[in-house]
Amino acid sequence: MAMLDTTMKIFAGLLESPQNSLVEQAAANGRIPIGYSCSFVPEALLMADRLFPVRLHAAGVAGTEMADNYLSSFICSYTRSLLEFAVDDRFNLIRGWVFVPSCAHMQRLFDNLEYLKKPAFSHVIDVPRKVNDATLAWQEEELRILAGRLSSHFGVDMGNASLMKAIGEWNHFSSVITAIGNLRKRPNPPITGADFHRVVMASLASPKDLILPAIESLYKEIEHQEGTGNYRARLMVVGGHLHDPEFIRVIESQGGLVVADRFCTGSIPGIRPVEVDGDPIRALAVHTFEKTRCPRMMEEFDLRLKTIFDTVREYHADGVVIEIIKFCDLWGVDAMPLVSALRKEGIPVLKLEREYRMGGEGQLRTRVQAFIESMGK
Amino acid sequence: MKKMTANVKSLAASLQETAKGVWRNSLAEYLVNARSLSDVVVYMKYWALNYIVIAKFLIDCLTTRGPVGAVRILIQHPWLLTLLKVNALTRRFARGRKGRYHEATCMTMHTIVVGTVDTLRQMFFFPDRLVINEDLVPSDIVHAMGLKCYHLEAMGIIMPLIDPDVSPKYIDEAENEGMNPDACSLPKTTVGMVLKGHMPKGIAMVSSNLPCDAGAASYSFFQRVFDIPTYRLDVPHHFNNERAVALFAEDVKGMIAWLEKHTPGRMDWDRFREMCKNRNRLRELELELWDMLRAKPAPLASEAVWLSHLWHYNVTPEYEVSVKHFERLVKLARKNLEENLPATENERYRAVVWNPPFLHFPDIFNWAERTYGLTLLNDSMSYHHHGPIDISTPDAMLRGWSRIVMQGPMVRHTRGPAENYLDDIFRMYEQFNLDMVWIANHVGCKGGQAMNGILREKCREKGIPLLILDYDLNDPRIVSHDNMMRQVEHFMDNVMKAKRLDQ
Repeated sequence: MAMLDTTMKIFAGLLESPQNSLVEQAAANGRIPIGYSCSFVPEALLMADRLFPVRLHAAGVAGTEMADNYLSSFICSYTRSLLEFAVDDRFNLIRGWVFVPSCAHMQRLFDNLEYLKKPAFSHVIDVPRKVNDATLAWQEEELRILAGRLSSHFGVDMGNASLMKAIGEWNHFSSVITAIGNLRKRPNPPITGADFHRVVMASLASPKDLILPAIESLYKEIEHQEGTGNYRARLMVVGGHLHDPEFIRVIESQGGLVVADRFCTGSIPGIRPVEVDGDPIRALAVHTFEKTRCPRMMEEFDLRLKTIFDTVREYHADGVVIEIIKFCDLWGVDAMPLVSALRKEGIPVLKLEREYRMGGEGQLRTRVQAFIESMGK
Repeated sequence: MKKMTANVKSLAASLQETAKGVWRNSLAEYLVNARSLSDVVVYMKYWALNYIVIAKFLIDCLTTRGPVGAVRILIQHPWLLTLLKVNALTRRFARGRKGRYHEATCMTMHTIVVGTVDTLRQMFFFPDRLVINEDLVPSDIVHAMGLKCYHLEAMGIIMPLIDPDVSPKYIDEAENEGMNPDACSLPKTTVGMVLKGHMPKGIAMVSSNLPCDAGAASYSFFQRVFDIPTYRLDVPHHFNNERAVALFAEDVKGMIAWLEKHTPGRMDWDRFREMCKNRNRLRELELELWDMLRAKPAPLASEAVWLSHLWHYNVTPEYEVSVKHFERLVKLARKNLEENLPATENERYRAVVWNPPFLHFPDIFNWAERTYGLTLLNDSMSYHHHGPIDISTPDAMLRGWSRIVMQGPMVRHTRGPAENYLDDIFRMYEQFNLDMVWIANHVGCKGGQAMNGILREKCREKGIPLLILDYDLNDPRIVSHDNMMRQVEHFMDNVMKAKRLDQ
């Protein structure tokens, strides 16, 4: 356990600042960090050649006074936090930004960033909101355009061989994370939800090749371990952006062990492998749609629901916690039929509205405690 | 005893206020304060015509559905009663106006009553051919297929215009069901209406990703409640290029094929061609009208412009009545122009309003007109710059129609880069020779809220006076009418240094 604590400290350390030591190390070695803020960006594409993707997060954000002036206080606090950090030069190592107008908030984050601090490289992937042959072809073209721009701006190799190598690296990373995630299906998982999320978040915010040894060593360490089983209920967390593992720690402090994570920065199905059958860009286009279960996808409510049902069964979850960042219309509206559909299926649900940064811990404890009690656990 | 006296006093005071309110909104007060006898005649003509149209609908309900069926329609759709107050709304819009401007206002309201009643007929008399469209999916293709149609959000737009107190109970219903309170109150009103079972179920539904996240996301809920097949149109984010038009036109083709599969409707391209011709004519007329509005003082303004567009372009663009309405508007404006007669007697300030108009307080423009001589010339919902539809082939028509949908109200300004939002404001400022820009700062509109910072700075750079007026689209409890008027007063006093006309 002491060894596990030491390993976990590595991941925790990597989440203390928006650009961690591994990003600094890679940037110092001439590699190019590309920031992104939405799960519709295919990370593997940004792993080609000298590029590496950095999931943008605003660790330790204290306030968003400047961003509020531009984005208003009625916009999700994640986008406000990112703008605040960007204006404050906290993403100074990031050499390019890739956006998806996945919602009005993300779209206006891009607009305001362009206005206030125009990045040297920025790109918007116009991801369709439904999937069919035509939109897949469109998405493929969108990724080709992005690859072309990255190649000409940074002088990086975005050819098929380079992309296949990047996909291979992503798939390896995905296999290790998935293997750790699978351990959570056990009756007594060897890793808590907070720790698992710490690993996932740290790896999304770091160059995969540099963090991978730590993840692999963690896996070896816990593979044959048993958890204490000291919990009252197994929970699945569903929702949008969730970066701070503290949120899950507080849930777990009340006896609700988080065993499954279906949120933007979670592993289900976010960190799945890219299946290549021929053209890597085509494979990445397909992958983009498969790795997200976002309510912006207009025709996928049933798929979102099925993913939750399947995950609940697979991970033996007793209940579902839906977490929504305040002002998020997509999750805010979608949660309404989602909650009733889950309840109809006999799955207990707790809907929590929250801010991007951790706050209101006491209230969160009380709500989770009441939820677990209502489940008779 | 003291308590009783106090109660009586308080009752007397409230009665006095109530009586004042009743008088202020009464027909008698309107007629007494009318500007001329001909204005009285014009108003009474449209007053009678509106009630005749409504009465005809009630008779049709009785004859087609029988007395029990008609009563059932009323019980199941209690918001129908709100329509009876439509002449009060006409009075609120037309108060203090005279001549052709007054006539254009009354006429605009009348055409909307006619159109609304036509929609009601489609809603209630043709259940086996009824398609539900999301409000930014125009009905012409559905109509060209021989189907009937209503826009799910339409009543959530019309009802608060007539009576500001109608929406809150639906908004509460949606929030009680778990919808996020910070979502736009129009989808909340619609969700509430559907939850209460106040909207008829069709045989199929066509929605889209327009205009905002809350609106689009609410269709997962509607689909589950109605349990009918649903098609979703998907407009690309960067819509202003031929690649996007091609993708969307294919999507529209897919919608037609889907409707043919799921409904008894069959596409009639000749009928659609006639509808496209209507749209083209409507566009020509509107451009002509806008051209005349550039004159200072403007020959027509306010509801005749923005409400006419809102209804006739979005709900009934394919109808002959819409073309006729715009022909009449153009005629009235031209006559005023020729005779050098301004719409607003004391036109002192010219403005446009950006973002969705104040649905529960649309007569704020009338108040501003009478108080400051402030004339509203156009709005973002109306302002478009698409070309005519090429009607040579079905494919060409679909592409032209697609371009219009992709540039629909709100869509044009809430998608794509920030320039799409900003540039039209500055273009309009020049085009209409404006003195100020009003931003209808709907608290639920995230896309608009997040542009205010940039807009404020850009306007400052260009020396454009900017009023960001906080309100909620459908919920008068968030920002009261009094508060909205105070915001205008503060702006007019402090920024424009304006004198009130009544001082």
